[in-house]
Amino acid sequence: MTVSSQVKQTLAGLKNCHSTLRIYAVQTQDQETRNVYEEALDTTNEIIKNLEERLKAIEFQEPRYKGN
Amino acid sequence: MKEWIEVLLRTVGLFIVIFAAIKILGNNAISKISSFRLISYIIIAIVTALLSANVIKNISLGLLVLAVWILLPLALEYLSLKSKYVHDLVYGKGKVVIKQGKVMEDQLKQARMTGEELLSELRSKNAFFMADVEFAIMEANGEINVLLKSDKLPITSKAMGQKVAPKSEPQTIILDGNVIHEGLKNLALNEKWLQQQLETAGIALENVFIGQVDSSGELYIDTFDDMIQLPQPTVKELLYANLEKSHSDLLGYSLETKDQQTKNMYEQNAKKLDEILKKLEPYLLR
Repeated sequence: MTVSSQVKQTLAGLKNCHSTLRIYAVQTQDQETRNVYEEALDTTNEIIKNLEERLKAIEFQEPRYKGN
Repeated sequence: MKEWIEVLLRTVGLFIVIFAAIKILGNNAISKISSFRLISYIIIAIVTALLSANVIKNISLGLLVLAVWILLPLALEYLSLKSKYVHDLVYGKGKVVIKQGKVMEDQLKQARMTGEELLSELRSKNAFFMADVEFAIMEANGEINVLLKSDKLPITSKAMGQKVAPKSEPQTIILDGNVIHEGLKNLALNEKWLQQQLETAGIALENVFIGQVDSSGELYIDTFDDMIQLPQPTVKELLYANLEKSHSDLLGYSLETKDQQTKNMYEQNAKKLDEILKKLEPYLLR
């Protein structure tokens, strides 16, 4: 089982990327570029959701990692 | 006493007249105007000079000459816009001097050019080897334009099969410490965004000489004080690096986990992230 703090770090990094991608998606004027950024947004969203589920599962199985 | 006043008034008046005439005739680069226009410019100049120096005593006659020399060429130009025949008559046509790598000698003779002069003109367009030239045309104003053979043209990203993000023109938004609102409007940004960007860079508005924003929203600043080292914008590279890190983290987790289902989850997500990274690369890195 992976340490939950590591997963949390990755999750935070991904959320960071997600918001930067959103800024670029909104700022771009070219439609093609915007589509690529929005696709990236969707993918990172999915991954973030998956990671959050995994985090819940970890915290459920190992209560001492809960919190923080 | 009276004469110098008259000359002064004439000269100032003609200055304004000529300024208006230039605006009417339009701005053309001197190297690109037809000889016809050049002659009419010279005649306008001479008549104006003679008129203002009181050599031509009768003002109304002089102004009449000026009016004809300004308006007739203008009329001829409008006509040549409407009719191709008039256009070819007035401006002449371009002559093809090199076609498919072979020199058209009779066209050269018509253009009254020797082979040596042709080579010299080609050199001025950076074509030192005649073997490299696919097509050369002598334009109506005597200038030669050269098309090199396709394998001698500089490499483009298309030729290399690399995708590059489309970029359109940058907008200047700061000049001499002042904000240019038109530039901001063209990018659909407002002053608050600009202030935020300046804060993150740690520069005050009055220290900026030139500020330019490219089509992806990156601000480039040049300050008055050249000693200040500005952090170069690296947001895109950082974003790419962050995504790469997350990707390798996920791969690592998939190796550590013992549970098969979780392993699959991590692997799939890593794969998705990898695909997205490939798609984003031309936009973030190139």
